[in-house]
Amino acid sequence: MSRPLLYLSYRQDMALLNTGAKRGWTAVLAVGGLVLPFVVQDDLLIVLATAWVAAIGAIGLNIVTGYGGQVSLGHAFFLAIGAYTAAAISGDPDSTRLIGFGITSLPVWLLAAGLVAGLAGLIVAPLAARLRGLYLAVVTLGLVFIGEHVFKHWRELTGGVGVGRPAAVPELFGVQFAVDGAMFTKAQKLYLLMLVLLVIFGVLARNLVRSRVGRALAAVRDRDLAAAVIGVDVTRYKMIAFAVSSFYAGVAGALLYVMIGFVEPGSFNLAMSVQYIAMILIGGVATISGSVLGAVFITLLPRVTRELPAVLPFVSSSPGSGGITVFQVETILYGLLIIGFLIFEPRGLFGIWTRLRTYWKAWPFSH
Amino acid sequence: MTATIATRVRDRAAASPEVIALREKDLGIWQQVSWAGYWRTAELVGHALLALGIEPGDRVAVHSDNRREWLYADVGTVAVGAATVGLYPTNPVAEVAYLLQHSGARVLIAEDQEQVDKALAAGDLPALERIVYVEPRGIRNRYDDPRLLAWPDFLALGKDHQERHPDAVAQRMARCQPNDVVTLIYTSGTTGPPKGAMLTAANVEFAIQELIERGGFASPPPSARDSVLSYLPLCHVAERIFSTWFGAGAGVCVHFAESIETVAGNLREVQPTILFGVPRIWEKIAAGVQIRIDSADPIKRRIGGFWLRRADWIGGVLAANAGRHTAASRIVYGIGWLFCYRALLDRVGLREVRYAASGAAPIAPEVLRFFMGLGVPMHEVYGMTENTAVATANRPGRVKVGTVGEAHPSVEVRIDELTGEIQTRHLGTFAGYWRDPAATKAVLAADGWLRTGDVGEWVDGTHLRITDRMKDIIITAGGKNIAPSELENALKASPYIKEALVIGDRRRFLAALIGIEPDTVGHWAQTRRLSYTTYADLAAKPEVVALVQSVVDDVNVRFATVEQVRSFRLLPKLLDHEDGELTATQKLKRSAVLSSFDGLVEAMYAKESR
Repeated sequence: MSRPLLYLSYRQDMALLNTGAKRGWTAVLAVGGLVLPFVVQDDLLIVLATAWVAAIGAIGLNIVTGYGGQVSLGHAFFLAIGAYTAAAISGDPDSTRLIGFGITSLPVWLLAAGLVAGLAGLIVAPLAARLRGLYLAVVTLGLVFIGEHVFKHWRELTGGVGVGRPAAVPELFGVQFAVDGAMFTKAQKLYLLMLVLLVIFGVLARNLVRSRVGRALAAVRDRDLAAAVIGVDVTRYKMIAFAVSSFYAGVAGALLYVMIGFVEPGSFNLAMSVQYIAMILIGGVATISGSVLGAVFITLLPRVTRELPAVLPFVSSSPGSGGITVFQVETILYGLLIIGFLIFEPRGLFGIWTRLRTYWKAWPFSH
Repeated sequence: MTATIATRVRDRAAASPEVIALREKDLGIWQQVSWAGYWRTAELVGHALLALGIEPGDRVAVHSDNRREWLYADVGTVAVGAATVGLYPTNPVAEVAYLLQHSGARVLIAEDQEQVDKALAAGDLPALERIVYVEPRGIRNRYDDPRLLAWPDFLALGKDHQERHPDAVAQRMARCQPNDVVTLIYTSGTTGPPKGAMLTAANVEFAIQELIERGGFASPPPSARDSVLSYLPLCHVAERIFSTWFGAGAGVCVHFAESIETVAGNLREVQPTILFGVPRIWEKIAAGVQIRIDSADPIKRRIGGFWLRRADWIGGVLAANAGRHTAASRIVYGIGWLFCYRALLDRVGLREVRYAASGAAPIAPEVLRFFMGLGVPMHEVYGMTENTAVATANRPGRVKVGTVGEAHPSVEVRIDELTGEIQTRHLGTFAGYWRDPAATKAVLAADGWLRTGDVGEWVDGTHLRITDRMKDIIITAGGKNIAPSELENALKASPYIKEALVIGDRRRFLAALIGIEPDTVGHWAQTRRLSYTTYADLAAKPEVVALVQSVVDDVNVRFATVEQVRSFRLLPKLLDHEDGELTATQKLKRSAVLSSFDGLVEAMYAKESR
């Protein structure tokens, strides 16, 4: 006899997979995720692997912006720190042009990338303690510009504009992921690696946000003064939010260019920050699964728009051939989607999902 | 040794110590108590009572909502040979004073500050020596009455006594005789002050054997796999049967509802397998389902409405077939179960119910059919405190809607030929009213027949149909005998009507005082953009009067001309126990209501005569 609502312990009350339906669907998703690399083309697998990495970054932004309510436009800055830390650590130590330490072990450079970015986040965090809302957004915006300038001119680290440097080398227990192997192709290996990392970081984040820290963050978001009154140390939790968020950004940054194999300092600009904001807005603010949905959606969007010229004659695939280009369409779509979601479904893709779920959950009533 | 609930709990604790006996929600989590834990605490209570000098035959009062401590206190009291007296949590000070004074309780176990205050305000109670309070909030370090004792200190007293006299409780249990009074159950008293019915150890044993072990209610009989939700006042005999006695007698796991307001939510969490309700509860659940379907979005409203109409038909088929499905109704139900009923029952917490019963007051057949159609096996049962609630019941598979069922195997039921009064005789007939031999004599004949005060008749020679309470029968000025409860229940079957009181004794026609249900009528008013402020304002709206008029008209069609309600007035307030208009069991006190709203009644007859 199943009585899912008869909670006999807080552990049961808090359980992530507290219903049979959730357990079932999680199993289906897991199996689907593992089968996918063997049925899908390699180029799409690379896109999906990029999406998993972007999801890690989006989860990070959602922790500080969605859960903690601290609007951050500086996500690209932290992604960059992660990317360059990882690239430098695993870089060629014999290179005369670039800094490199030759440690290609993935756990080492991944953790280092996260920690360095997290540290940077901690340094920025005191700003958040003093600023709110729009002011914080503007200050974090400043970070992106400072970062862009530094990365463009610190040639020993980044290789400079237009040149760049090789990305981090993914190697785990002697297995190289970025090259084709005997059993698996490069794309399959990268896809599985990123999927596993996403699951690890996703579960960690989910655990964080359902714990005391998560509840404190939500309290700060809803009203920092009220949170302080009920005993939440607002400054401390804002620092935690920024540190954890930056850690995730650092990890995502380190992995993001592994697929392409190359980092270009110009890419860490405001547009990238906005892209991540779009991911969490479209996916669903203050949800982990929403971050993943949003990241997949935004990452796959260019793939879809690239098909447009075949369908719509006024869209061209390259600039200069008249009409509008796919890149312009993409930008317009971002804008339209953000506006549309904010107006019609502020809870994002995940909100649509919860709406569907409650519809059936409440059957045959409305609530 | 005589079996009592104490020996039964002890034996269960020995046989299955780890099995869960009780669950109570505390800070969002259902805390569990095993049979061993149940008995351990109950025995400590027994020792504590011994330490306080309780002798066999003394009374211990319990004034609390349903909670674990109520059962500990009950079992502990019975173990030491004393009698439990339950007080309704809603009892106002005057009634508390009367009950404590009349029962002569030496120890009172009060739930919280509210109940302690009532006892302290009750004036001079020479017999009352100790007041044990369960919830210390507001009492500890604030009150300095020497009689007060906190529950943990009370148990510590028991612990200490247990160490010095480890066998004392067992010795008391061994001395228990079948004729020892184990509980005083004060009847709600729709007329006059409450009377304390004395139930003996033998009465309770008979009820447990008849209703549980011989399967007088559920079939197969309740077992340790069943669970119940305890939410009606435990001082009432019905809830005592379903919580304490079903637990002690059959090992049923008892879940305590947080309060009467949270019953809907708790039902959903607990999904009990056996559920007893008074008509008011069933009417409320039925009205809730109807309202929630009506206020759903259009698609759900259509689908839900469609299946509710099918349920109505299924209920009709079941009612016509003694509660058994026909092939057609089973197929329709099967499809409906997939699309609607399974989910609907889950939402209202009736999904696992294998036996549902209604009793303690007459219920409208429409309500029974509604639940039967949804797939809840509903059974109307009949009994009263004075016969330990053992009289008749509709048995699974032999249901006749509109009757209260067949007599239990070991029960004699007869109908007095002159007055039509139902009388019962069996081992569960009570020992008399406490300190009231005159009242005892009036209902209990020397040959053991108990006069129930209900008028009834046989249907098909097997099933008993109750017409009404004897004293409520209306004789109109035209000389016609009318049972008001039938009309009242037909009216109350409407989701918009909460209370109905049909009058017309020695009058030319029937009239009614009607109390609207604020939730549903309020919702109805909202959907019509009808603004209102208070209950009185809502009840005075001409639109609301028109709504009730339409309900009355619908009901009138089903009755003969002389039995029709020709005029009605809406009550300007919600009836309340505190104001003396309802009994503790939420039954209407006719005389009290009539005297409070005397003006309304006269206005109805005055207007018509002009």
